[in-house]
Amino acid sequence: MTMKIQPMVDNEAADPSRKAGRQRLRADRGSPRGLHRHWWPFAIPAVALTWLFFLIPFVLNIRFAFTQWTGFSDVISWNGLKNFRGLIDQGILWKSIEVTLVYAGIAMVIQNVFSLGMAVLLQRTNRINSFFRSVFFLPVLLSPLAAGYIWSAILSPTGPLNNAIGLVFGNFDYAWLGHPFAALASVAFIDAWKWSGLVTLVYIAGLNAIPDSLSEAAVIDGANAWQRFWRIKFRLLAPAFTFSVVVTFIGALGAFDIVQATTQGGPGNATTVLNIAMFSQYAGGFFGTASSLSLVVTILVIALGVPLIAFLRRREVEA
Amino acid sequence: MSAVPSELPVQADRRRGGTSRRSSRRRREPMRVAVLTCLALVWVGIPMWLLVINSAKPYTEASHLSLSLPKRWMLIDNYKYVIEKGNYPQALLNSLIIVVPTIVVVVLLGSMAAWAFARSRRTSMKIVYNLTVLSVLLPPAVLPTVYMLQVVGIDGTRLGYFLVMTGTRLGVVVFLATGFIRAMPQDLEEAAAIDGASRLQIYRVVVLPLLLPVLLVGCIILIITIWNEFFFASFLLHGSDSATLPLALYQFASSSADVAAMRWDLIFAHVVMTSLPVIVAYLFVQRRVVAGLSEGAVKG
Repeated sequence: MTMKIQPMVDNEAADPSRKAGRQRLRADRGSPRGLHRHWWPFAIPAVALTWLFFLIPFVLNIRFAFTQWTGFSDVISWNGLKNFRGLIDQGILWKSIEVTLVYAGIAMVIQNVFSLGMAVLLQRTNRINSFFRSVFFLPVLLSPLAAGYIWSAILSPTGPLNNAIGLVFGNFDYAWLGHPFAALASVAFIDAWKWSGLVTLVYIAGLNAIPDSLSEAAVIDGANAWQRFWRIKFRLLAPAFTFSVVVTFIGALGAFDIVQATTQGGPGNATTVLNIAMFSQYAGGFFGTASSLSLVVTILVIALGVPLIAFLRRREVEA
Repeated sequence: MSAVPSELPVQADRRRGGTSRRSSRRRREPMRVAVLTCLALVWVGIPMWLLVINSAKPYTEASHLSLSLPKRWMLIDNYKYVIEKGNYPQALLNSLIIVVPTIVVVVLLGSMAAWAFARSRRTSMKIVYNLTVLSVLLPPAVLPTVYMLQVVGIDGTRLGYFLVMTGTRLGVVVFLATGFIRAMPQDLEEAAAIDGASRLQIYRVVVLPLLLPVLLVGCIILIITIWNEFFFASFLLHGSDSATLPLALYQFASSSADVAAMRWDLIFAHVVMTSLPVIVAYLFVQRRVVAGLSEGAVKG
């Protein structure tokens, strides 16, 4: 392999920035020979793909949300707030926002409570814990659809859950997915079930990043296990906590697969989250109103995600 | 508030505190394992058992959804039916030819861009970086995507779906890898530059190998999310010829649902077959996956 070897001195002499001394040189690290001045060729392929297939559609959506765009005509025309008014008149908009928020709230709480508990149980790295970590990670690998089918079987009136309850209380045939609130809570639970294995690992990473010396010092100070957890570990866990709460909540705002596999929005519209409502508008050929609903998801993510991050971050600084 | 409660009396005997903690840990260990075993059985064991065992039962037996062993084994017949009628081979092929190139492209282009973002000091690059990683948190807009693909004429095709998957997942890898590179000393890259290596060489020989841990985490997340991706697939892929596995599963389950009751035997067989490739892959690299993720690619 031939490499062109240039003496370092020549280049530095040619570089006017050298006069500014060491400080300047450090600021320019990565371009010691002027070779590295342009970074954009390395970024362009990824940036082009992301902008083309994420950013541009994202911006276009803001426009499409306010247009008359259907599968029945080639013309896409501006119609202001008419899509949103139509969605309100049909009772879709507020209901689906409410359903989405309740779904995301339930999924987020279950996931974080369960995963935090599991992380505490499985924190130390040893053979037994590695085994259990792998076992609890299994649902993460399943597709949300698969999780939906498995759980709609478990929750069916004659399914294993009701049979187990029946062993204790006698004949039990509650239709978990047939009653409005139970159905919504159940699908949110399935979402939590599918992802908690991953969130558990995030919390384990967070717990293991806390130096043991702090806990040991607290033991010496006479703190019991409960105090050690809430007053030390839980506070220092703030970055992992922020990440998990935000990711699980925002992720659940975009729910679609699990609902599609279990209730498809029913009973009635009790589990019609925004994306399900969006899909049925799309399937009906109403692309404009579908865009409007998709914009609502985006607005919810921004309007709730940003304050949530800000709030949780402040907690991190405190700790 | 300080992390250690200061109002508690300080005990001088370090030793005693240490040993009593260790022995209480040892005493509690069997209980902990028992609790974990029960939890694992209820949380993972029963759902998985229900899935696998009912996929081996005849239709009427499976409709009871019991956890008992099949009275009559229909394992081979059910799976054969899924392979023949469930569009399985075509969907498996489609999934593979979409997932594999997507991951290769996303990991290579993403890490390359991450290197540029981490090392460049230009404001313009910082702005571009921030706009690019927006895709990590913001939900992608699916309808304009459909529209754009229609304009180009690749709507409903695997190519279009592949491009969209690539464009929407790059942000994750860029985000993870940029943070990782920023925390990495630059000396090696500088040394290679002084030795006359071109930048592509530096990327390939120096940067890429150093990035392996974070790219492994990225790969795991990508495989799990793209293999199971259903939302975009249901908008962007039409018909059964281009269907990926999740789409084929959904089409199969929906069509078998028309018949009076759910065909749990067949749906479960399809679920098993759809999940199998990822689960088998997981069994091979399981230790590295869990270790890689629990060592944490997440830094707040």
